[in-house]
Amino acid sequence: MRSLVNLFISVPLFLFSLSCKGQIKNAKTLTVRVDGNCGMCEKTIESAGSQKKVASIDWNKDTKEATLTFDTNKTNKDEVLKRIALAGYDNENFLAPDEAFASLPSCCKYERSRKKSTVMNQKESSSENMENVKEQTKSNQLKSVFDSYFDLKNALVKSDYKQAGDKAADLKEKLQKIDMNKLDHAQHEVWMKIYTDLIAKAELIAKAKNIENQRIQFMDLSATLYTLLKVAKPDAPIYYQHCPMYNDGKGANWLSREATIKNPYYGSQMLNCGKTVETVK
Amino acid sequence: MNYFRYIISGIVLSFWYGLEAQKTVRYDLFVRDTLVNFGGKEKKAYAVNGRIPMPELHFTEGDTAEIYIHNELRTETSVHWHGLILPNEQDGVPYLTTAPIKAGTIHRYKFALVQNGTYWYHSHTKLQEQVGMYGAFIIHKKEKQDLPEYTMILSDWTNMKPFEVHRRLHNANDWSAIKKANIQQGAVQSYADAIADKSLGIKLVNEWKRMLAMDVSDVYYDRFLTNGKPEDEAAHFKAGDKVRLRIINGSSSTYFWLKYAGGKINVVASDGEDVEPVEVDRLIIAVAEIYDVVVTIPRESTAFEFLATSEDRIRSTSLWLGSGIRQLASPLKPLKYFEGMRMMNGMIKMDGNLDDMGMNMSLQQMDMNVVMYPEITGHQDKNKPDHDHKGMDTQYNSNALSDIVTLNYAMLKSPIKTTLPEAHTKTLNFKLTGNMNRYVWSMDNKTVSETDKIVIRKGENVRIILYNNSMMRHPMHLHGHFFRVVNGHGEYSPLKNVLDIMPMETDTIEFAATESGDWFFHCHILYHMMSGMGRIFSYEGSPPNPQLPNPKKALMKLYRDDRVFHFMFENDFASNGNDGEMMYQNTRWKFQTEWRLGYLTEHGYEAEAHFGRYLGKMQWLFPYIGFDWRYRDMHRDGVRQNFFGQYNTKDLRSALCFGIQYTLPFLIIADGRVDSDGKFRLQLMREDIPLTKRLRSSLMFNSDGEYMAGLKYILNRNFALSTHYDSDMGPGAGITLTY
Repeated sequence: MRSLVNLFISVPLFLFSLSCKGQIKNAKTLTVRVDGNCGMCEKTIESAGSQKKVASIDWNKDTKEATLTFDTNKTNKDEVLKRIALAGYDNENFLAPDEAFASLPSCCKYERSRKKSTVMNQKESSSENMENVKEQTKSNQLKSVFDSYFDLKNALVKSDYKQAGDKAADLKEKLQKIDMNKLDHAQHEVWMKIYTDLIAKAELIAKAKNIENQRIQFMDLSATLYTLLKVAKPDAPIYYQHCPMYNDGKGANWLSREATIKNPYYGSQMLNCGKTVETVK
Repeated sequence: MNYFRYIISGIVLSFWYGLEAQKTVRYDLFVRDTLVNFGGKEKKAYAVNGRIPMPELHFTEGDTAEIYIHNELRTETSVHWHGLILPNEQDGVPYLTTAPIKAGTIHRYKFALVQNGTYWYHSHTKLQEQVGMYGAFIIHKKEKQDLPEYTMILSDWTNMKPFEVHRRLHNANDWSAIKKANIQQGAVQSYADAIADKSLGIKLVNEWKRMLAMDVSDVYYDRFLTNGKPEDEAAHFKAGDKVRLRIINGSSSTYFWLKYAGGKINVVASDGEDVEPVEVDRLIIAVAEIYDVVVTIPRESTAFEFLATSEDRIRSTSLWLGSGIRQLASPLKPLKYFEGMRMMNGMIKMDGNLDDMGMNMSLQQMDMNVVMYPEITGHQDKNKPDHDHKGMDTQYNSNALSDIVTLNYAMLKSPIKTTLPEAHTKTLNFKLTGNMNRYVWSMDNKTVSETDKIVIRKGENVRIILYNNSMMRHPMHLHGHFFRVVNGHGEYSPLKNVLDIMPMETDTIEFAATESGDWFFHCHILYHMMSGMGRIFSYEGSPPNPQLPNPKKALMKLYRDDRVFHFMFENDFASNGNDGEMMYQNTRWKFQTEWRLGYLTEHGYEAEAHFGRYLGKMQWLFPYIGFDWRYRDMHRDGVRQNFFGQYNTKDLRSALCFGIQYTLPFLIIADGRVDSDGKFRLQLMREDIPLTKRLRSSLMFNSDGEYMAGLKYILNRNFALSTHYDSDMGPGAGITLTY
């Protein structure tokens, strides 16, 4: 009886161990380079790259090298490396999608040295004269302000109180960094009138106790920033949008880079309530 | 002197010819049988000039196209110039506008090009488009364009013969879903999948409402192709380049999601006509639809993936722009099938009609499918509150729900005024109708062959209001005209010739009737078109078409496409007997015969045949006449009564019968009948209950006291292991063969 039980246990175990070994036929072994940081990376890389009986991979976190063994009849190096990249890891053939990299745990966020820096439309800037280039740096200075404003707005659209606070603090910093001597005449004039107000509002949002207070301040901030937008000459159109309901039905405005309405005053409650009143180019 | 005149006229003549030759662009296309290996197996296909897709044809606006089709096949063919404005007899729909190109003959097309943009051409004969007969047709603007260009023609490939695909669709064969489930778990949406997903209730409601597994596409494809390759490369582009991609969806039944790893996609034209540039993160391209987009190569020494993923997200195909290390686009995550099923359960009424709950959906703005998209509505989350009616207007609005900007038709705006001339407007309303279970696709529940041509008058405006009451989206295509999509941009409504319409949407399109002859208006999903989903617009008082000397006979040929009967056969070779069924059916009619042949006389021999017609839009009702013959050695259990107190003839019968079948909730077929001996019988039957991915069960019970329960494990597309218990024949097991 006992031996029968043993048999029942040992046979499946034996079969299991066989399947685990998963011998790879027509094997070819290569060394490949895969970026990553730590032991956790090792786990992810190896499970993403391995495939039962088809491919196995052993990555070394110190050398950033991996030994890849695969069945040449069933797969190839590219297929394995692509799976590893889709799991978030840049390697010699593929760059991971930004989303995959972003969702890696923070200890795994390796330095993406394979990713080249963005070329900013070389052709366009080189073909234009120096005056224009200067102009661009000027408006770029203001661009950082608008960029951080949009981050703040998006946080409010998502009704994310904490993020909105962080983004407002960031906006305040960007505002303080503006060198007004590098602004053109019209921008300079507007800037002089509004900058103290803008910084004050950004600070109020950063320190507000709840999202309702953030939104009230955001309404004033948006109206003030609009006057700056009129002289800012943005490189992409910016939409001035209006929500008729906010502020007890008096309405409130905001700026957006997208034409689609995403209401920062109500968030998901009335996400697409509102309309574009002006497009500033 | 005379000689002199000849010389002069000779010079003038040759000069004239010279001019003419400059403007005429000639192509010769040789259509031949070929063998290709796209999906891991060598399969038959059609190649033109030795290639799939067909060659990319280039012209300049104002040219005259002269194209010779050399049909070297053993069957007839045709070529339709998709999206072109041309004389009716050049349109290329065989038997409707143009003579079919018979085997071994040459056909000349010649027409002036009065437009510019990206178009395509394909066979309009049977299912030839599926096996390689599609290609790009590009008409350049007269003035030189500064952006470099690249054409991307997308297509779908199946190792199954298109004829088989079509036949199986009509027999509700779910082999496609099993193949999909090998790649993506849960695609069959079986009871086991439902339990694993904690969605058993959803599955039960779904079957209660008489729906088969829901899917966004019908056919399983082994490969998707870009320019005839699983992956195409355009390595010559450099960092900083802006590239105009001309994207043509030349597939037979696949919608694609388009994404770019190098940033935003700037949409600049649709179906050949320019639109105001609009920047998006992604877009869906319907079958036969065309978009021109501009993308930028943002970094050096990098190739960026332009990713096209089939709508069912089973597979994808890519174009790499630039050279160097490959920057991947993030793939689309698998669909949340049971969320989709929950949504459909909410939308479908008990009578099979759809209920939009007052949402007035149109122009792809509300995409009910977003409930299935993890990137928009998050990952599976069972704890979220139930859908309520409050936030209904944003609940399905993809752009409001996420940071991802998805193109929809409301965002398309023409750069020029497209208003129609002042004229009388003829308004036509069409309801798109369909029946997934029997694969019937129609408009107002009528197929092409079941309706007359719709007469329109030159000079009037035609407005078409479409409502999609079916459960699938349809790319509706109009031949020979551009229509305006009435979308809130008023005078600047965009011009298109393919309109994707999602379930429950209502869209309005309008065009000026400026041509003459007959023009096809149909769903461009090949298998829907071949099932009869379309109409013919016919200009009043058109001159006779020289290519169709006998138009009535030709029309009958065209009608034959959707009248065709599909054959199906199944036999279970079991230990206790042979058990089988055969069907021969079309849109409305069905001839069906069933048999149960025991190996012993006490097991008996039975055969039943029915011939009948499906009634109603949902085709739940099937009255029939037939006969029933059976013999069984009776000493086993002797004479009995049936449930109606009548003498039970279940063991010895030879009778005509009249009956009616009705599909009940849970897809149970109730079959009530009376035979020529005056005997009544009521029977309930449910077949193919999907227990797991490959396991199907069936149950039957009738008022003669007969019952049957069976299990079937599907091995491949033709064979299954089966076991059943039959009240007459006892237990049995064997192999089921299905054709």
